[in-house]
Amino acid sequence: MKIVVPVQLVPDLVEELVVDKSGKALDLDTVRWIISEPDDHAIEQAILMKEKSGGEVIILAPDFEGVDDVLFAAAAKGADRLVKITGDFESGLNAHALARALQPLVKDMNPDLVLTGVQTHNGLDGPIGALLAEYLQMPYIGYVSGVSVQGNKALISKDYPGGLKAEMEVSLPAVLGVSSAESAPRYVPISKIRMVMKTSKVEEQDAGDLDLSGAAVVTRMSPPESAERATMITGKVDDVAAKIVAIIQEQGLL
Amino acid sequence: MPIRIDFWGIPWEWAHLLIYVTVIGAGVVMLVRFYLQARLWWKAGQVKLCWDRPLLRLWRVIQYAGIQTRVLEQKYPGVMHIAIAGSFFIFFLGTAFAVLNTRIYEPIFKDVFLKGGIYLFYEVVLDLFVPVFLLGFALAGYRRWVVKPKRLTLEPKFTWMLLLLLAIVVTGTLVEAYRLALQKPEWAPWSPVGYLISLLLPSGSAAEAGLYQVYYFLYGFHPLLVVVAFILLPSTPLLHIFTTPINIFFSDPARPVGQLAAIPADKEGIPIYSRTLCNLTWSQLLNGDACTECGRCQEACPAYAAGQPLNPKQVILGVRNVLHRDGPALDCSQPDKVHELVGETGLTEEVLWSCTSCGACVAECPVLIEHIGTIVDLRRYLVSEGRLDAMAQDALNNLGRYGNSFGQSERARAKWAQAFEPKIKDARKEPVEYLWFVGDYASYNPALTDITAKTAEVFQQAGVDFGILYEGERNAGNDVRRVGEEGLFEMLVEKNSMAFAKSEFKAIVTTDPHSYNTLKNEYPADAVGGRPVLHYAELLDQLIASGKLRLTKKLGYKVTYHDPCYLGRYNNVYDAPRRVIQATGCEIVEMPRCRKHALCCGAGGGRIWMEEGEMKERPSESRIKEAVALEGVQVFVVACPKDTTMYRDAVKTTGHEDRLVVKDLIELVYEAL
Ligand code: SF4
Ligand code: SF4
Repeated sequence: MKIVVPVQLVPDLVEELVVDKSGKALDLDTVRWIISEPDDHAIEQAILMKEKSGGEVIILAPDFEGVDDVLFAAAAKGADRLVKITGDFESGLNAHALARALQPLVKDMNPDLVLTGVQTHNGLDGPIGALLAEYLQMPYIGYVSGVSVQGNKALISKDYPGGLKAEMEVSLPAVLGVSSAESAPRYVPISKIRMVMKTSKVEEQDAGDLDLSGAAVVTRMSPPESAERATMITGKVDDVAAKIVAIIQEQGLL
Repeated sequence: MPIRIDFWGIPWEWAHLLIYVTVIGAGVVMLVRFYLQARLWWKAGQVKLCWDRPLLRLWRVIQYAGIQTRVLEQKYPGVMHIAIAGSFFIFFLGTAFAVLNTRIYEPIFKDVFLKGGIYLFYEVVLDLFVPVFLLGFALAGYRRWVVKPKRLTLEPKFTWMLLLLLAIVVTGTLVEAYRLALQKPEWAPWSPVGYLISLLLPSGSAAEAGLYQVYYFLYGFHPLLVVVAFILLPSTPLLHIFTTPINIFFSDPARPVGQLAAIPADKEGIPIYSRTLCNLTWSQLLNGDACTECGRCQEACPAYAAGQPLNPKQVILGVRNVLHRDGPALDCSQPDKVHELVGETGLTEEVLWSCTSCGACVAECPVLIEHIGTIVDLRRYLVSEGRLDAMAQDALNNLGRYGNSFGQSERARAKWAQAFEPKIKDARKEPVEYLWFVGDYASYNPALTDITAKTAEVFQQAGVDFGILYEGERNAGNDVRRVGEEGLFEMLVEKNSMAFAKSEFKAIVTTDPHSYNTLKNEYPADAVGGRPVLHYAELLDQLIASGKLRLTKKLGYKVTYHDPCYLGRYNNVYDAPRRVIQATGCEIVEMPRCRKHALCCGAGGGRIWMEEGEMKERPSESRIKEAVALEGVQVFVVACPKDTTMYRDAVKTTGHEDRLVVKDLIELVYEAL
């Protein structure tokens, strides 16, 4: 079983987001990169599967600042190969371009399963998993929250909005967009990461020239404007409660 | 002339010999059995014998095992124990002198020393310790069989032990009484207890034969009991007579309580986590056998009192039980076959995560057992396996990435200082006298930034030349270390040390007792560079004493003061904050649990980051109730940012908002300016 996990780094929302002078993109100097949360779940899911039935887990990540930490953390969890994709991503990257760049690399690896996070919070042109599946000519299932492999098939549980869950079967190789791993991403102690830094190596593969076509074009970017729509209800607890009830009734919710 | 005669009235040489042989034989059996048990400590544990400062260590043995200062801190059990232990010590000495007298002294000097005045003194002292023992026995019996405090282990082994001791003393005293009745020496009243009993015995020559029969029987029975006691000793609670002095001797006299031991590592530097018995140090295993099951730690533990699964006594006994169960057949060369410690009775994950690292157990334990070291070692193992609750994981992830547990950007760390005028110096850019290590809570918690700003204002008013590290500061790591995330602790230390290295300062001051503890006791010497680390209570105290900080108002409140664990128990800073409070013109009324015995707020040791779990009553609520019970106390003064949040919550949840306000020490000072 060979599982390839392409992951992405996204702007850390803990930091204040600043729009650059062009008014169309984030000011990259102020951005701090962090692994996209669903991608973290994809890694966890891959490791869980490896722990259960063996195999090899390969992590791929485009070269953003902090990518080494992401890769080493994955290695500390149990990933076997770490691949950093180098290229000029600073001037803009989209899911189409990344999927095209990933396609030959992933293909060469000959995976049984490709796990990606189902979405990124800064993605404007759809999930990378679906695009990659298209370019690789593999089936794709998104919003996956559980995988078990039987022979050359995988049993998937997929989440739908409204709390529905479906079980479906897919033949391998396939690409899955993971929304949550079967258990929350584990904590890796710093000492383990530091040890891994000494013992594991990061391979580099070049992305070549990026083909950015096919994605949405940003014409203007701005932080959400705050409006003074909130009304503060003050007074004694009982009075406040009564007022809230009245408002809810007014809206016909009670 | 009064003189002691060995084996008075026992004419048979063989009987003398028999008694010597069996008692000595029993002593040998005792030592061998003890050895077999002690062997497990180093068979399983990592052996590192520390002999440095032998005299200090010896003195500690005298202090804690001989004079028993810690035991005596609690009156009833203290008197009880010293009465029993002291009298047996005297009886033991008496017997030893008797043997010395005729078996060693006499052959050499052709004379005895137990004669005349010395002998009478010897008799009277030995005799007077009989009622002392009986007093101790009565206190112990009343406590064990009538009062039955929860902290005691109410098992038959303790009852048997007490009865055996009683039997030894009673038979010994009766032997004396019968001897006096038969020997009728004129100095008999010098053995007052034996003499009084002898008066009750039948007299006259007709009764003499009967008295002799009983005397012979008792003369055999008394040593027989001693023989039984010797043989059984290693498997009874009396074992502590041997183990506690050893435990005290090998406890580290130099390491402050606020300094955890590092994780041991093997030759390649790979850390050894406490997964099994084989990974503990021998002294951690010795701790188990040294525990007297007195339950003082249990009684002091805030987690136990809150109804959480933790009981520090059971932690220590848990290790001991595993040692006794698995130790004899243990094979550390096959680690896969050795049981994991976590999960054993007394050592479950919930137990280990309940500890607030308040240090009350360690401070109370009469025999210097270090519960926290073992708890943290087991937590370190759990962390190495990623076994910790989701909230704690989040906190650690945040601390690793942003350097604070709030998951906020480090750039926001000094947000509170942005609007502050005059601008607070950046210690990384200009030299300052005091580097103010602000800490996470005071920096990020919006409810506390007002207090933080007041602190800055007071410092400025007093003309203190200070600066902060702005976004260069990281969580100091005290609680990270106590959660068991040693790697992250080291990383935080490195980052802070780098920021220190960039700055020029003469001392560090902090309002956070947790940061204070680790900066003072755990940071590498080159980071802090031998410069003093002060808690703001200490700095304020100095400023007031030197007249630099002038308080003009007398506030006149009746207040109580809560000693933060890491300031009081851990670092013995009790008086500075009290002097500051007094300087503000407030009257301090102490809570029953104060100073060394102060109750923890429940937030320490990383607890503040974890799921709370099931609780009968939060420690902070119990504490507020304690304060409210004090006549007329209006203000609950704290000297720790975490305490402010913990106790303000507790005042609300206990519904005492109109009765008590929680104030930071600085708020009093500010008000009194
Ligand atoms: S440190 Fe405090 S909470 Fe932890 S076991 Fe000891 S007394 Fe209990
Ligand atoms: S650990 Fe110390 S305080 Fe606790 S029961 Fe044992 S001897 Fe007593």
